[in-house]
Amino acid sequence: MSAEHTEKKYSIFQIAMNLTAACFVSGAIIAGTYFVTHPIAEKKAAILKQDAMKALVKDADNFKEISGKTEWFEAQKGGETIAYVVPSESKGFGGAIKMLVAVSKEGKVVGYDIIAHNETPGLGDNANKEPFKGQVIGKEAEKLEVTKDPSKTDNIQAMTGATISSRAVVKGIKEAVEQVVEFAGGK
Amino acid sequence: MKELWNIYKKGIFVENPIFVLALSLCPALAVTATAANALTMGLSVLFVITANNCSVSLTRKVVNPKVRVPVYITSIATIVTLVQLLLQAYFPLLYKELGIYLALVVVFAIILARAEVFAAKNPIIPSFFDGLGMGSGFTIAMLSIGIVRELLGMGSIFGVQILGAWYNPALIMILPAGGFILIGYMVAGCKMILDNMAKRQAERGEA
Repeated sequence: MSAEHTEKKYSIFQIAMNLTAACFVSGAIIAGTYFVTHPIAEKKAAILKQDAMKALVKDADNFKEISGKTEWFEAQKGGETIAYVVPSESKGFGGAIKMLVAVSKEGKVVGYDIIAHNETPGLGDNANKEPFKGQVIGKEAEKLEVTKDPSKTDNIQAMTGATISSRAVVKGIKEAVEQVVEFAGGK
Repeated sequence: MKELWNIYKKGIFVENPIFVLALSLCPALAVTATAANALTMGLSVLFVITANNCSVSLTRKVVNPKVRVPVYITSIATIVTLVQLLLQAYFPLLYKELGIYLALVVVFAIILARAEVFAAKNPIIPSFFDGLGMGSGFTIAMLSIGIVRELLGMGSIFGVQILGAWYNPALIMILPAGGFILIGYMVAGCKMILDNMAKRQAERGEA
């Protein structure tokens, strides 16, 4: 608070104009920056997406968007489709978990990547790491069930202290696999 | 020069934002489960608080005191949005890593508190150093909490395994409850050291 304001009386209009001016300046600065950075950000995001898909399906040399489906991609190798990369979402311990799931033509999980999540650091966020990841890869939809029983080696062992996150991630992947099977089977 | 150093120094220990002022305990709980997260959060706050102190100090004569709080919040939000836009364009991986934490910086009590308590009454250079000092104190506090929690909760520091397989991680340390307990002990420790220092100073003054 500066001294000169405490002496004078300001009308409500002047006070409002003061705030309006501050917001206007801030808006102008943000708009200017956005104008400059947005094209760069979009380009970078597209490159990152390609890289992320390439990391999931290592053999693929091209990713083609599937028409009629939003954000679905075909992973191609030499012009032939070897896998599908589809987005999936499920509700975890701390809100939505967004994933990118790569599914082979036979309906097996090739890989997955958690793009956005809000799970407990050190517990639930291990879902994107080994050994949890290794359990999921190569499985079909029927075997994608989370269990706490160590003798059920066919299924997926829940992460210690993060059963809800484990279930949510596996559910999201399972849905993606089922959708792909339906899509590829009906073709 | 000495004065500026004193302004800087007080944020680090004597008026440490987390341990002494007890402001912004929310991020100190939420983002300190691992040392790396704690450090990134600390550095983002260091940047935002310094930039905001400068902008508040620069505009302190034209802002009407009746609307100063909304104006400060607008200023903080603008700075955070700029950081987000720039990171998104030039360091998308880092942006992804920081995620929602960055947006949360807008509502941190410590930033608004420094704008109100210090930057609104002081010229730009002391305000700059105040922001820098408070930001550094915040970063140091976050980092020390993060290191202890990660070490006890996962046996690692910055993702590098320190304790061997014999160590059975204490899950509670990664959960918010463990963070609260640890912060409590750290605040108590800080208070003890500060009391000791004050006592010694008083003794020296009397002698």
